[in-house]
Amino acid sequence: MDKSIIVENVSKKYKLYSKSSDRIKDIIFPKSYGEDFYALHDVDFTAYKGDVVGFVGINGSGKSTLSNIIAGIVPETKGTVTLNGDAALIAVSAGLKNDLTGRQNIELKCLMLGLNNKQIQELEPKIIEFAELEKFIDQPVKTYSSGMKSRLGFAISVNIDPEILIIDEALSVGDKAFAEKSLNKMHEFKDRGKTMIFVSHSIGQMKKFCDKILWLEFGRVREYGSVKEVIPKYESFLDEYKKMSKQEKNEYRERVTNS
Amino acid sequence: MKSAITVLKEQFKHFNLIRRISLYELRNNNNANYLGLAWEILNPLIQISIYWFVFGFLISGGEGRFAENPSGGDRIPFLPWLVCGLIVWMFFQPAATQGSKSIYTRLRLLAKMNFPMSVIPNITIFSKFYPHLILVALTLILMQFIGYPISIYTIQLPYFIFATFAFTYAFVLLMTTLTTLIRDIQLLLQATLRMVLYLTPILWVSNSLGNVLGGKLVLLMKLNPLFYLVEGYRAAILGQHGWYLVSSWEYTLYFWFITIVLFVIGAALHMRFRRHFIDFL
Repeated sequence: MDKSIIVENVSKKYKLYSKSSDRIKDIIFPKSYGEDFYALHDVDFTAYKGDVVGFVGINGSGKSTLSNIIAGIVPETKGTVTLNGDAALIAVSAGLKNDLTGRQNIELKCLMLGLNNKQIQELEPKIIEFAELEKFIDQPVKTYSSGMKSRLGFAISVNIDPEILIIDEALSVGDKAFAEKSLNKMHEFKDRGKTMIFVSHSIGQMKKFCDKILWLEFGRVREYGSVKEVIPKYESFLDEYKKMSKQEKNEYRERVTNS
Repeated sequence: MKSAITVLKEQFKHFNLIRRISLYELRNNNNANYLGLAWEILNPLIQISIYWFVFGFLISGGEGRFAENPSGGDRIPFLPWLVCGLIVWMFFQPAATQGSKSIYTRLRLLAKMNFPMSVIPNITIFSKFYPHLILVALTLILMQFIGYPISIYTIQLPYFIFATFAFTYAFVLLMTTLTTLIRDIQLLLQATLRMVLYLTPILWVSNSLGNVLGGKLVLLMKLNPLFYLVEGYRAAILGQHGWYLVSSWEYTLYFWFITIVLFVIGAALHMRFRRHFIDFL
């Protein structure tokens, strides 16, 4: 099988500055200022063509950072990401310009992706139909509800037909009917052998939809395997974690990050 | 130097895209106004008339002002003198202020693009360039009727338009990186530009300055590359200065030296930081 996403030893370091002057000093001087914070630490995983990989983990485990790195939005500090094909990220209201109307956003987004006018004209009605915005399509995006925004974002990304689709919590905003429709669309993608990454806190959706689960914990891979293997472990971990006191949680975090 | 060539290549490779997106921006910026695109021309016309009224009329106590004619002919009335310079400024000033923030204001929206980031400032500059070309055309038409018809010297105009564009891009490219790294620079730039309008011979007449401090004052003012462009537009449109780019060849060299240095530094910084711009938001 063809490899579609290869992530090797990827780390992402953020700098935490206590003063804003440290930020400037850090740019200018070779000496390092500020405190290092690793959002991701030596993450390795490979997804094959047609895989649907779910990212799970508690808040702050690096799910969104990893999906942003794979989508090419955020640069990695260390390691390499190799993709076979284009990746499109769908996140709530990602990449929409508030002052433009829905229609103009569609056009701009398509222009940015290098489509020509003919292709845009072909795509536009499909996107509008899928987004179900009706009259609102010619209203500025700032008047949209969050559900409408994510519908538009989803409709654009899905219709430009990327090879790799990354969905970051985007389905949790829309109503049931739209979630259903999106899931159908994603099943269609799956059948066509596209690779998908699915970030969500809904274990139900994960079970229904994913083949593999990548479990992240404080920026490290805790486990990577099939849904059947990983999800039960993750669920029992969640139960345990919920019961921990704040101090136990901190101790646990220390233990994981220092190992 | 290598990054300068890369950036330059990227501009040519994505020229079509720049053209299309900038037209799109131009259209959409004016979408909310009833008069739409007409504002791109109306706004400069209003500016020209107020500057003319204050600096050409009120300031001299209601008598018309004139500029010495370098060719020794009749003195040049203030209006044509002003217009030639002001059109350069009305392109450069918005292109520089809006261009310099073009990257950091859009980064989050347009993070995923199929083209390099060096193209973004050029999109903003281009969207100011269309109205500029229309203004230049209108100016040429106006000059036909007030005694400065098209002459052989008008041939210089495309050169000076190109020079203006090149300088603006070099300047803006450097500024986009600096403003993304340090946001204060945007404010500094806006304040400085307000001053530069008065340091460029747009509202005042440069040739009567020739002997002040033994000519040293003019030399000092000429360090500002916009001085070259404004005088160049005048030479081309009014046709009274002869072949400006040849007769002041030292100044031409200086102008291109500054432009290229700005571009090389700007491109080097841009390439060094562009992958990490998003971390600075």
